[in-house]
Amino acid sequence: MIKKIYLDPYIFIGISLLAMVGVLILFSASEGDTTIVFKQSIYVVLGLILFLFVSQPDPDIYRRFSPLILFVTLVLVFIAYFFGPEINGARRWIRLFGFSFQPSELLKISLPLFLASFLFNKKLPINAKQTAISIFFILVCFLSVYIQPDLGTGLLIAASGFLVLFLAGLSWVFIGITIATILIFSPFIWNNLLEPFQRDRIWTLFNPESDPYGSGWNIIQSKIAIGSGGFFGKGYGEGSQTHLNFLPETQTDFIFSVLAEEFGFIGVLLLLFLYTFVLLRTFYLAVNARDRFCRLVIGGFIFTFGFNVMINLAMVIGLIPVVGMPLPFFSRGGTSLLSIFLMFGIITSMSTHKKFIPK
Amino acid sequence: MDFNERQLERQSFTQRSLLVTSLLVIFIVVILFRTFSLQISNFTEFDKASLNNRTYSVPVQPLRGKILDRNGEVISENIATFDLVTTPRDIKNVDEFLKKIENILDLDKDEIDLYIKNFNSKAFFNRELVLKKNLSEIEIARFEVRGFEHKEAFVGKRFRRVSRYDEIFSHVLGYTGGAGENNLDEQNRFRSNSWRDAVFSYANGLIEGKAGLEKTYNQSLTGTFGIKQFEVDARGRLVKELSYTPPINGENILTTLDIDAQKVAANQLGKRKGSIVAVDVETGGIVAIYSYPTFSVNKMANGISQSDYDDLINDPDKPFFDRSVAGRYPPASTIKPLMGIHALNRGQISWTTKINDPGFFELPEDGRIFRSWGEIAHGLINLNQALIRSSNTYFFDLAYNSGINELADDIEKFGFGSTVCMDCILEDEGLVPRPQWKMNNLNFGWFKGDTVNIGVGQGYISTTPIQLAHYTAVLANKGTKKPLFLNNSLSEKIQSSEIQLENFNQQDWSLLHKAMESVVESDYGTARRIRDQKDFPIAAKTGTGEIISLDSREEYERIREDQGLRDHAIIVAFAPVEKPKYAVSVIIENGESGGSVAGPVALRILKELLKE
Repeated sequence: MIKKIYLDPYIFIGISLLAMVGVLILFSASEGDTTIVFKQSIYVVLGLILFLFVSQPDPDIYRRFSPLILFVTLVLVFIAYFFGPEINGARRWIRLFGFSFQPSELLKISLPLFLASFLFNKKLPINAKQTAISIFFILVCFLSVYIQPDLGTGLLIAASGFLVLFLAGLSWVFIGITIATILIFSPFIWNNLLEPFQRDRIWTLFNPESDPYGSGWNIIQSKIAIGSGGFFGKGYGEGSQTHLNFLPETQTDFIFSVLAEEFGFIGVLLLLFLYTFVLLRTFYLAVNARDRFCRLVIGGFIFTFGFNVMINLAMVIGLIPVVGMPLPFFSRGGTSLLSIFLMFGIITSMSTHKKFIPK
Repeated sequence: MDFNERQLERQSFTQRSLLVTSLLVIFIVVILFRTFSLQISNFTEFDKASLNNRTYSVPVQPLRGKILDRNGEVISENIATFDLVTTPRDIKNVDEFLKKIENILDLDKDEIDLYIKNFNSKAFFNRELVLKKNLSEIEIARFEVRGFEHKEAFVGKRFRRVSRYDEIFSHVLGYTGGAGENNLDEQNRFRSNSWRDAVFSYANGLIEGKAGLEKTYNQSLTGTFGIKQFEVDARGRLVKELSYTPPINGENILTTLDIDAQKVAANQLGKRKGSIVAVDVETGGIVAIYSYPTFSVNKMANGISQSDYDDLINDPDKPFFDRSVAGRYPPASTIKPLMGIHALNRGQISWTTKINDPGFFELPEDGRIFRSWGEIAHGLINLNQALIRSSNTYFFDLAYNSGINELADDIEKFGFGSTVCMDCILEDEGLVPRPQWKMNNLNFGWFKGDTVNIGVGQGYISTTPIQLAHYTAVLANKGTKKPLFLNNSLSEKIQSSEIQLENFNQQDWSLLHKAMESVVESDYGTARRIRDQKDFPIAAKTGTGEIISLDSREEYERIREDQGLRDHAIIVAFAPVEKPKYAVSVIIENGESGGSVAGPVALRILKELLKE
């Protein structure tokens, strides 16, 4: 018998709207391919159910099971790497009953969860040993995804880990030293650690016209799509850049360009409003969460989500290099969508349950 | 953790998450700003780029204007031919399709190979592909009957540039040939790669005038290209047609030429090398201009076999060479009326001045002998008689008493030494020699004998048939000079001018016309051969152009063995004498006698032109 449904109405409305608009845009981006849209709609429904389901348990359950959750996720990631099918040169999927499932998406949840449960009772600031342990787990998770290869998701997972570490009170000294080190070694990273195509992408960003039919093509066409949308857009399903295939990857990375082309600046404003609304509401929930563990988890989740959105947008409008990074709620992909709902479900759970204070 | 620590921790979290949130908000603002810049500030630029991406304009070829004669009769036009055109996009199976077509039409192996080779790319890009060119009427009928079965194939109309008079207008008309897109004035209206998809009206694709009127008036004949605008996808496939602006066909050119006169000219010259130019004296319009040997303009425009082409190129008689405007000939005795005008105007002689003609002229300086034609002694004769009989001695004498520069000035007044036609192509200026020219080109000083030779139109002087026709028109007009032209629309722009002659009045002109009429009418006249065949008064002057300078009649008989060294037969004539309407010049290479060989030719043309 259910006594109470734990639900934050603002979050619920916000993400429902985002998911609905997402399906709408995907329908246009996929040239009205009903199979794709039907599948995505199913994921939205499943996601909402999942969201409601994981909102209900007390947050302590997540804390207690976080090491197990991380362990299982990592095992799944490795199963995908060693036994999964190779698609487009990457091994990141597990096929189960005709559904493809991408366990690395779950790391965005299980890693912050684990780190928060590890750090929530540590003294401020986090000492060197704890920092080292945290970084070790972050590295393991990052590398397990990086080798698939999937740099975009890997970086996001690492970011989620570091965000928790930062919010938990990572010492400013450590942060200063790290930034300085990265700056000093950046030439070395540029020359030795980056693949030529990655260097190309960065280079293209600053000068896309240098290679309009090669690596600059995507960015140029994306900018044309967005720019030609104007204030009111070309109309739903009327985007010539989208429908005549000038715009690449319309269903995944560049889906924002589809929205911008067809709905114009108005559409962009609406989208940014929805994201900002969800972001600020969750920030409010984080600050007012019942304990340090919940604060860290909510903070880690929402900021990772925020950076994910911003990086995708900055990428398609040509502010940063192209990295494979989908737009949450919009890009095609079931696991990504489900993990977002899962994430907001956990956020809801952590922000709605009152702390039982023993006398 | 105690309470204090907990408070501290909460404070730290709030501060740090506020920092990250601020960072994200800055991010959002930057993204908003950037999107605003793309969508609002630079909208026009990106809107244009997007339009440019999705639209593709291909040129649609206009038809060339016709070339008409002065009566509006067609000389050159566009004749439709029919090709079997297919749309590979709609064809599921090439082999089956070809089999179906082969039931109706014969396809040869080359056609099939070419078709299959291009099929896939045309299908991918959704372009048309020609399967068989130049269908016969029977083939068209057979196809059309079954046309409903083949929606993917249709009979397409393509034009060819054809002259109704294949060989007789060749030099003046010129011909068309393949054009590079870079040569077109319109190239900047279209993207360079769009030419490969141009909609061609001609079976030969892009064409332009390569010679003659087709070249001179290429621009107005060509017209303006139309535009077919398509929507294309990122890979260049045609999605649908967006708009169509039809081409503007080229303007017709109404020429001054007369088909009937040209036909007569061609018939009269026959297989003899030479040139005929006939001019409307009142306007300056060229009514007939023919040069032989000639060539087929239709073959040149629509396909000539390599061996035929090689034959033309290697022919020693140079069929492509337009003798009428570029052939250099000595004017020979046809210059004598001009010599008379010169001498009278400069006061050297009067109409009654008599000079003894013993049959030769002896240069006082060195005793060199200049001989007359046939070495006939005409005795004491005046200018009138000298013109009628074409006495060489008389004009040697006139020239001997002239200053070379004054003489050259007077010759140039009549249009020699410069071009005389406004819209002819590759016109030669001929040569009016002067001491300065000789020194510069031959590195020799001027001899008196050089001047003497000019008196009978021999020596260094050279003229073109069109210059002779122009000169004859000036004589007919009693000193009014009009530039010649081919395009009738120029007639309003023509500026005529009077030749400045101080001491040569209307009476002198009448006497000169009388003398030239007597060339035909007199029993002694060199053109008396045509006297009885004419039905209107004609004024003429014959000439016999020597190719090499000889000392005696015997010597000529010897070199006559070589046909190529025989004298050129020349005549200039105008008619009717009272109110001249047409002037004509005829040169028949190696024809020997101006009066009896070239004379009848000139007569026939004048007859044709003057017939009511």
